[in-house]
Amino acid sequence: MLNYFRVKRQPEKVVPDLGAISVSMLESDAHLPFTIRQLNNLPEAVKRRVYRGLIPPNLLTRFGIDPIQWTGANKEPLVFLKAEVNSEKVLITAQSSPDMNDEFFALELADNSLNGVELNLVVLNDPTTPRYSIDTIEDGQPTLFGTLKRNIKAEEQAMHAGLAPGQVRAGLGGSRMVFEQLDTFLSMLGHRAYFLEPLTYASAWVFERRGFAYVRGHKLMDDIQRGFQAGGVLYQSLDDGSAFRKLDQASTVRGRAWAIHDGILDTLDLRWDKIRMVKQIGRHAGVETFPQAVY
Amino acid sequence: MTPTHRITRAAQLESLDDFRRFLKEHCAPHAGITAEILYDLQLAVDEACTNIITHGYAGMDPGSIILDLEIDASKIGISITDFGHAFEPKSAPTPDVDASIEEREFGGFGLFFIQQTMDEMNYRTTEDGNTMLLTKHIIIPTGD
Repeated sequence: MLNYFRVKRQPEKVVPDLGAISVSMLESDAHLPFTIRQLNNLPEAVKRRVYRGLIPPNLLTRFGIDPIQWTGANKEPLVFLKAEVNSEKVLITAQSSPDMNDEFFALELADNSLNGVELNLVVLNDPTTPRYSIDTIEDGQPTLFGTLKRNIKAEEQAMHAGLAPGQVRAGLGGSRMVFEQLDTFLSMLGHRAYFLEPLTYASAWVFERRGFAYVRGHKLMDDIQRGFQAGGVLYQSLDDGSAFRKLDQASTVRGRAWAIHDGILDTLDLRWDKIRMVKQIGRHAGVETFPQAVY
Repeated sequence: MTPTHRITRAAQLESLDDFRRFLKEHCAPHAGITAEILYDLQLAVDEACTNIITHGYAGMDPGSIILDLEIDASKIGISITDFGHAFEPKSAPTPDVDASIEEREFGGFGLFFIQQTMDEMNYRTTEDGNTMLLTKHIIIPTGD
């Protein structure tokens, strides 16, 4: 090999550390990206007007929620915004009724150290479907979606009900709409990309379909694809050793995801962590690490 | 509008074959792209991608390389995007091509080869990745 350029190791900030958004700033440069922190420091009414663009209106009207007022049929608030002054995060949640603890929609964005944007959380749950307590153990302690501790019984039930690891309810559908909305919102802010760390193999696969590429972990996804081919190391480890390691799981996204959640990557001396994905605004990367996949 | 062809693969040496095949497949229908031009394109892409694989993603589980190809009547445009460590073109040393084999240092020729085979080379690092832009001018046969 005959190539070796040098690399610089210190990335530059996407947005300089600027103060509050001012009218003169808006007037002088239409391209300068804004940070979440800058948005959070806006007056409440302005902030709410801006963040309204984070939720697809169609998603709200499906549940009878006024997309402008964020209220239900009886004027009760059903969409909640957490965007505190000086905070670098914004969390927006929506629920179908005041009584329901589980949101059908949750989305959290945050500034990263380079003033780029991280998608920390996106949840789309169907509130009409059964709930599986994979997020807590019997004494109520949180499992952090099975990453810290595991509620095996609930996980088995969730798997048999067709859910992927990390899901407490069946998905709502509509992720395409949500990601298109997010692209629009972030382009309005002046950003060219955003980043996330997928919780599970299944979510990484979904994000691939939504146009994401990998900052870290593309090779791991290729290794997983190879490993689950007939005769592969992961395929051979589907040995009925647990409820999450049945041979037929090799051929589906969810099946693979449960086996990985169960620690099957240990056989390759690998772990599901530090996977990082990027979405270029307005562009689809075309990644497909599991061609012709069955979900 | 000129259509853009795209392929995205993991930053690993095994992907280089896919990139070569991709270039061949999309250049083949164009009469103005000779075997020599195709070889130059493949060489430049090979060198740029090997640098990304070896250095750009050094120390991390490799991410993606996105290769975009645009062909119009007078030029071929290639963009190669990655999300690893950024490249500092100005810091790349100029290899001593006049030195004897024994005196030459190992490496240092990647950028040189790209500059020799391509008509234009630009590099930018933005929020949505590090992108090397390569341009090769072509002459379409007039049929005379």
